[in-house]
Amino acid sequence: MKLLSVIGKYLVLMSAVFTKPVRARIFIKRVFEEVEQIGMDSIWIVSIVSVFMGAVLTLQVAINFTSPVIPQYLIGLSARDTFILEFSSTIICLILAGKVGSNIASEIGTMRITEQIDALEIMGVNSANYLILPKITAALISFPILNLLSIILGILGGYLIAIATDVVSIYDYIYGLNYMFVPFYVTYSLIKICVFSIIITSVSSFHGYYTFWGALEVGKSSTKAVVYSIILVLLFNLILTQLLLT
Amino acid sequence: MIEVKNVNKSFDNQHVLKDINASFEPGKINMIIGRSGSGKTVLLKSIIGLKIPETGEIFFNGREFIRANIKFKREIRKELGMVFQGGALFTSLTVEDNIMFPLNLFTNLTKKEKLSRVNFCLERVNIQNANKQFPSEISGGMQKRVAIARAIALNPKYLFCDEPNSGLDPQTAILIDQLIHNITVEYNMTTIVNTHDMNSVMEIADSIIFIYEGHKWWQGGREDIFNSDNKELNDFVFASELCKKIKKTNP
Repeated sequence: MKLLSVIGKYLVLMSAVFTKPVRARIFIKRVFEEVEQIGMDSIWIVSIVSVFMGAVLTLQVAINFTSPVIPQYLIGLSARDTFILEFSSTIICLILAGKVGSNIASEIGTMRITEQIDALEIMGVNSANYLILPKITAALISFPILNLLSIILGILGGYLIAIATDVVSIYDYIYGLNYMFVPFYVTYSLIKICVFSIIITSVSSFHGYYTFWGALEVGKSSTKAVVYSIILVLLFNLILTQLLLT
Repeated sequence: MIEVKNVNKSFDNQHVLKDINASFEPGKINMIIGRSGSGKTVLLKSIIGLKIPETGEIFFNGREFIRANIKFKREIRKELGMVFQGGALFTSLTVEDNIMFPLNLFTNLTKKEKLSRVNFCLERVNIQNANKQFPSEISGGMQKRVAIARAIALNPKYLFCDEPNSGLDPQTAILIDQLIHNITVEYNMTTIVNTHDMNSVMEIADSIIFIYEGHKWWQGGREDIFNSDNKELNDFVFASELCKKIKKTNP
């Protein structure tokens, strides 16, 4: 019963979010601000994680492919497909749920407890639309770019470790990257990250928007935003994989 | 004119507002007073639609507000100005941008005209050279004045102030009171001030409503307080020993 009530509250909030903004110019300005906060500020964490994970993944696969019957180019292939299919969409979104989700929930939650949201409402502004829609739009723009960046940097990380350690020859690694490439996997990855971006921003905004009483609650909302975003990302990862790849 | 008719509001079976009836006239400072937890903030928030009463009606110049659809409510809200207890300034915006915010959203003024209006509002609340400062960089009293400047930016018909003097020293509090009074008279606004600061009441109140345990317990003018034999009102107003002595010496 409580779950139904929460879902209902979430849908009511989203119906207020997805309405026409009062001023297109202000909306666009807000989207650019949010792209900077949500997207640009996340580049460094996505880059660091992707490069290191690409390197580690390549090392681990190379260490485990000891049988002479297994071709070495499969190391490059597995690095490529792991990043495209799972890492750069799902794992990166789990990281972004922590970074972006908690930031959104605490920002909106603080605005709630300091009555800034009430001030917006009193001015006749649809506060949900004004605060949340630019965040969702910005995430829809920047997350797919971060996804592609992560794929490129992950594969680059594997390439660099191949040069540095000689666990696989550069020729085999690059051959593996090109071997049996399925372009739809990239589309699948982009579809997933678009869905996850809506989940992370809307769920975090929901928890921030319904923060009441005080600073302690802002912390709790922030934690809830991250936890529920992660659970929903994992659930929708399963659903989308079933729908798109089987 | 704002009219409140038979308003009731509960939270988790706790009846906070009990059949409140009141009317607030334009060009006057209407004050709602009462102890903490008496329901005065709930009443103020119910009037402006931030809380929805279970029963009752609220009229803004004859227009019913509570049951109106959200679009109509937003139209009426463009006629409201509100000064929140903590100021509720947007912390990510400068003083200038805070005041310009409603102008950006609801007017078609040019940038120059908007800036001129911002400067006029800031002058009106006696603030100079703070345009580019952020709310965190100015004092509490200045924040309240900026909040008033933002509230009057769109020339509202109705002004609401929730404990505008909380956290301010007595001298700054008097300045804020005078500012609210002058603006109310100048623009002929319907002003409702929610307070438990008796200095404010004695300074600027034209009409006073005393809320006690969710009921409208007493209504009258500034002078009537001294002559009232309402026990609960006297207990609230003359709570301190100093006030009791003043009451005794001015029977």
